Amino acid sequence: MLKTQGLGYWYQDKDQPLFQDINLEFEVGQSYAILGHSGTGKTTFLSLIAGLDKPKAGDILLDDRSLKKIGLTNYRRHDVSIVFQAYNLFTYMSPLNNLLTAMAITGAEHAGDKDFALKTLNDLGIGADLATRNVQHLSGGQQQRVAIARTMACDAQLVVADEPTGNLDEDNTKGVIEQFQRIAHDRQKCVIIVTHEPDVASQCDHQYRLENKQFTELV
Amino acid sequence: MNFFKRAWLNVWAKKGRSVLLILVSSAILMFVLAGLLIRSAAVKATDQAKANVGATVTLSANRQAAFKKMQNSSRSKSSRPKMTLTPVKLSDATKITKLSNISSYNVTSSTSVNAKSYDTVSTSSGLSGGNSGGPGGMKSSTSTGDTQIDGVTSTSLATDFSSKQSKITKGRGITAADKNTNHVVIEKDLASQNNLTVGDTITVKEATGSKDKVKLKIVGIYKASSTSSSSAGPMSTDPANTMYTSYTLANTFKGTKYAGTADSVTFNVSNPAKVSSVKTAGKKLINTSKYALSTDDSSYQTVKASMSNVESFANKIVWLVAIAGTIILALIVILMIRERRFEIGVLLSLGEARWKIVAQFFAEMLMVIVVAVAIAGVGGKFVGSQLGSQLVSQSTTTTQTTTSSTGQPGGSGAPGGSGMKGGNGGPGNMSQSANSKAAKTELDVSVSAVNLAELGGFGLAITFLSIMIASGGILRLEPKKVLIS
Ligand SMILES: Nc1ncnc2c1ncn2[C@@H]1O[C@H](COP(=O)(O)OP(=O)(O)OP(=O)(O)O)[C@@H](O)[C@H]1O
Ligand SMILES: [Mg+2]
Repeated sequence: MLKTQGLGYWYQDKDQPLFQDINLEFEVGQSYAILGHSGTGKTTFLSLIAGLDKPKAGDILLDDRSLKKIGLTNYRRHDVSIVFQAYNLFTYMSPLNNLLTAMAITGAEHAGDKDFALKTLNDLGIGADLATRNVQHLSGGQQQRVAIARTMACDAQLVVADEPTGNLDEDNTKGVIEQFQRIAHDRQKCVIIVTHEPDVASQCDHQYRLENKQFTELV
Repeated sequence: MNFFKRAWLNVWAKKGRSVLLILVSSAILMFVLAGLLIRSAAVKATDQAKANVGATVTLSANRQAAFKKMQNSSRSKSSRPKMTLTPVKLSDATKITKLSNISSYNVTSSTSVNAKSYDTVSTSSGLSGGNSGGPGGMKSSTSTGDTQIDGVTSTSLATDFSSKQSKITKGRGITAADKNTNHVVIEKDLASQNNLTVGDTITVKEATGSKDKVKLKIVGIYKASSTSSSSAGPMSTDPANTMYTSYTLANTFKGTKYAGTADSVTFNVSNPAKVSSVKTAGKKLINTSKYALSTDDSSYQTVKASMSNVESFANKIVWLVAIAGTIILALIVILMIRERRFEIGVLLSLGEARWKIVAQFFAEMLMVIVVAVAIAGVGGKFVGSQLGSQLVSQSTTTTQTTTSSTGQPGGSGAPGGSGMKGGNGGPGNMSQSANSKAAKTELDVSVSAVNLAELGGFGLAITFLSIMIASGGILRLEPKKVLIS
């Protein structure tokens, strides 16, 4: 579904790219974990996949169409859903309105459907009571679950997450990973997670390690 | 319209910030409104002044031409120079009344007669006796009586009455219907001194010509204010000795050759702005070597000058405050947007169009401005009326001083002689009344729907501009830089 072709990226120095000539393929119904030492360029790679930045070399193809052709804004709106470490929620809204807003912007199938949004939140353990308070009055784990619920409420086929369990305790981490697995398997989406934790990575269907400017699959 | 909902959620969730923004915007808009109010009040006052404060065109003998003629003749002949003034022909005046913008006219013909059946009022300080012969050089005492006769078309159109310096207290004034009658209006002091009242008859003796005795019927009594100095020629006695009659009667006293003439005819111009065009048109109808048309729109000019000062000041306030307000609001919005970079990043990562993000901020400010306009509408009235009254009192005092100093020439209108009485009012007198009117002009500061609409327009423009200035940042923002730090 998503392909990278000779993908390369560098910040200042062209001679010292973070990674180069990357050829990977991601499929729907599968989950992928990306491991690697700090500063190797995992987040940078994810930002390219998420359409937040343009590659310096090579190309990214969605169903054989270049992101350049699709247009990054368009791609972000319809094809990809992002979960970041910092939850990236609207702080002045309730969880419910966060979902409704994202659904409206992305033009999701269930846009405007309040009951659907509440049900999605409820599936992730955010009850009606929590769903209508200000999102800042939720715990870190609860906020992360709202962010995940948002990716589920939208129709994007590709879900990317940067250290979604970074500041969660063991129980929450387990619950969040289970949700990602369900998104991949039950909802037939493609999930790509960057993580530090080998325990988290091992629960995904595929594991890659970014090292020496190259991705290697761990078996 | 999702951005509109977001705007509402944001304004509602951040009540403290919204209230602060409303207060700042209200303050800015209040000053804009104050300026708008003063400006519209000044426009209104100028319009009112146009209607209330009349302007006049006066047809009289051409003094300048006559004076030149006299000088020339004095050079050639050794005899004592004599200035001959041709009385105005009423047929000429009738032609001028046909011009557009002339609302009414007043014929003035003044002379003097001697008291017969009554005693004149003598001023204790001034000249002794009734019939003194005026200042030095005036030898024609035969033509000067102790009672001043001011013949008019109607007293209500006479300067002293229209400026409210003289008032009818009993009976009625002279009207056009009194033409060719012996009706008079006498002064209160003269009446009480001689026990005269409306309906009584008095007798006077002509000061010139046949020196006939003439019976006059009193139809009204007026009160001259102490400052009243109408037709205050040097030979005048106490103002109480002035009687108003129809100009036809005054002409009779002067002699038969004065029938159908007048000292001057004053035309009231309905639209003061048209005074000079009336003058130009009128000049074509008369013999300018013998007659002159003089204009007096000083009252109108006084009001106009003072009001245009206020108006331009108000205009400056409006624009200054609007520009300053835009800058202040833009800075606040820029700070606000910087603080909301993360939110903008999230919106961008969801694929929201940049213009919709700008639209959200605009909608938020719009909600703030609507409330601010309402608050400013209430508050601006107070600020406006305070400022307005201050401005008017200041600017009228300054213009008043200037006009009264330039308004003097009216006084010097009476070298007398040849039966022509000196200045009929004249510009000096006129500007006096003009000033009292101008000073009374108040700025009516009230908030109209138009003002509020204008204010809304300014509010909208200020908001729009400040958001535009601030949105440069939004349009350049990269979601990656915001979300990944
Ligand atoms: N905007 C930037 N300009 C220049 N250099 C950058 C920028 N962002 C990141 N870098 C550098 O690029 C490298 C890769 O950064 P990136 O955030 O992708 O690493 P990462 O693998 O996600 O690390 P971590 O595991 O600590 O999150 C780092 O050395 C970082 O210093
Ligand atoms: Mg990272």
